[in-house]
Amino acid sequence: MLKSSRREAMGLALATPSFLFLLIFFIVPTLLLFVCSFWLAQSFRLIPAFTFDNYTRALSAGGFYALTWNALKNGLCTAVLTVGLSFPAAYFIVYRTRGNLLFYLILVSWFSSYLVRIYAWRVILGSNGLINTTLMQLGLISEPLEVLLFSPFATILTLTHIMLPFGLLLLVSALRDVKTDYIEAARDLGASQIEVLTKVILPMCYKGVVGAFMFTFVISAGDFVTPQLLGGRDGMTTGILIANQFRTAGNWPFGAAMAFLMLAAFLIVYLAFVRLLDLLRLAPGRRFHD
Amino acid sequence: MLRFYVWLYVAFLYAPIAVITLFSFHSSPSLTFPFEGVSLRWYEKIFSDTTFMTSLQNSLIVGASTALVTTVLGSLTALGLARLKGRIQTFFGLLAFGPVALPGLFLGIALVMLFSQMGLQRSLLTVTIAHVLFTLPFFIEAVRSRIEYFDLSLEEAARDLGATPMQAFRLVTLPIIGPTIGGAAILSFALSFDEFIITVFVSGNDTTLPLTIWSMMRRAVSPDINAASVISLGLSIGVILIGGLLVWYQRRTALNARARDTQA
Repeated sequence: MLKSSRREAMGLALATPSFLFLLIFFIVPTLLLFVCSFWLAQSFRLIPAFTFDNYTRALSAGGFYALTWNALKNGLCTAVLTVGLSFPAAYFIVYRTRGNLLFYLILVSWFSSYLVRIYAWRVILGSNGLINTTLMQLGLISEPLEVLLFSPFATILTLTHIMLPFGLLLLVSALRDVKTDYIEAARDLGASQIEVLTKVILPMCYKGVVGAFMFTFVISAGDFVTPQLLGGRDGMTTGILIANQFRTAGNWPFGAAMAFLMLAAFLIVYLAFVRLLDLLRLAPGRRFHD
Repeated sequence: MLRFYVWLYVAFLYAPIAVITLFSFHSSPSLTFPFEGVSLRWYEKIFSDTTFMTSLQNSLIVGASTALVTTVLGSLTALGLARLKGRIQTFFGLLAFGPVALPGLFLGIALVMLFSQMGLQRSLLTVTIAHVLFTLPFFIEAVRSRIEYFDLSLEEAARDLGATPMQAFRLVTLPIIGPTIGGAAILSFALSFDEFIITVFVSGNDTTLPLTIWSMMRRAVSPDINAASVISLGLSIGVILIGGLLVWYQRRTALNARARDTQA
């Protein structure tokens, strides 16, 4: 008894430095940003106040909805593609390979710098880029395809490329918890391959799939660099708008209010996604009640 | 079928990197085929560029400081979490994961707001603070699963046999969790080295490597960006590979030693 309470006290003492760090540089700034979203800005100076003006201003501008929709669309498409494309690869790594070489090969590409990958896609997709010049040399097209670059397509393609390795990591660690015994048992009891997937594997790695989807969604919907560099005029997102408030235009409280509205939109997507999985009976706890 | 798909997946991941690497050695400024010849001119150009070299140095400094601070904070936290139970552990686990559950943009603007209210000038220090915040969750997550397997009673046995807390840590705990901590420290360095989204808000006059590549990209498409990109890629991938090999090697020697001991 004495030993265990001494152990806990020691645990608390060890965790205290990080707790203080997170308190000062994570909790306080988040609260400060929230408080500031009710302030006003006048010629680059912050004026403490309590007003909903920033929120009403954002919500009454038609453009805000369009840009938020663009951000959500980038996030949803990227998340669907990332999870959809990575799941078969994760399945292969967990159940069909022995060593970890392939897994590590994929993970290493996660460290091929974010900006460099955006730049690489610009080189490949541009009107003088690799795809267009090759297609023109082959005589398949006479004019460069302008839609390749500076379009939501370019943004989503690049974001998917960036998110794939991390999505795979989360899915692999989720699938490792689904032991082959369960799968073999289901097969022995007469389940088809599809049934094994939808009734055994997916419900058992539910948390990992939701985690991979949401993580990819939040990062890519909130990303402002990729749409700014590759998205073109139609690819403008709330993220770019918020970043601009803090970098050039300078209305911080307005930017803060938009950031919290963006988070609220993310939360709605999360709840909708969980509800959807529930309705599709892929969530755990549902499958026993059929 | 599935095997073919997975190789296609890997090819898709590496193709853009391969293209950039290939053209960084191109003797002409053109970024299209046919390939005209091999040269190192873009590397010569970038290595004599003082802005690039300074930012590379800054990135190395920030990366090393971030790795150091994150390792100290993260290891203490992971060791602490292993001793905690129930609600406190859950709460702290969630809190420590928080910074990566939010978009980088959000962290960037929240921190810039804090620094301006604190009157803290933006510099490499503020960049390092931001990077520690960003890498800490990854560090804790990477180390935690290993520490959860670690049997605390080993440490207590050492204490009962008369070891001081420091001795118990140095002689018992560290040899077991050391390789994992080393690997996670390298992970923190690599994450910091590539971080851009938060850095863009919290950096002052001293720029880091991704910021320099960003401003090169915004100016014009000049082929020396290829060389700069390849250097940046090579460094972060190289560090990760070295880290991975070190962890693997240490685990293997530890396993061999254990096998030898049990045989004897």
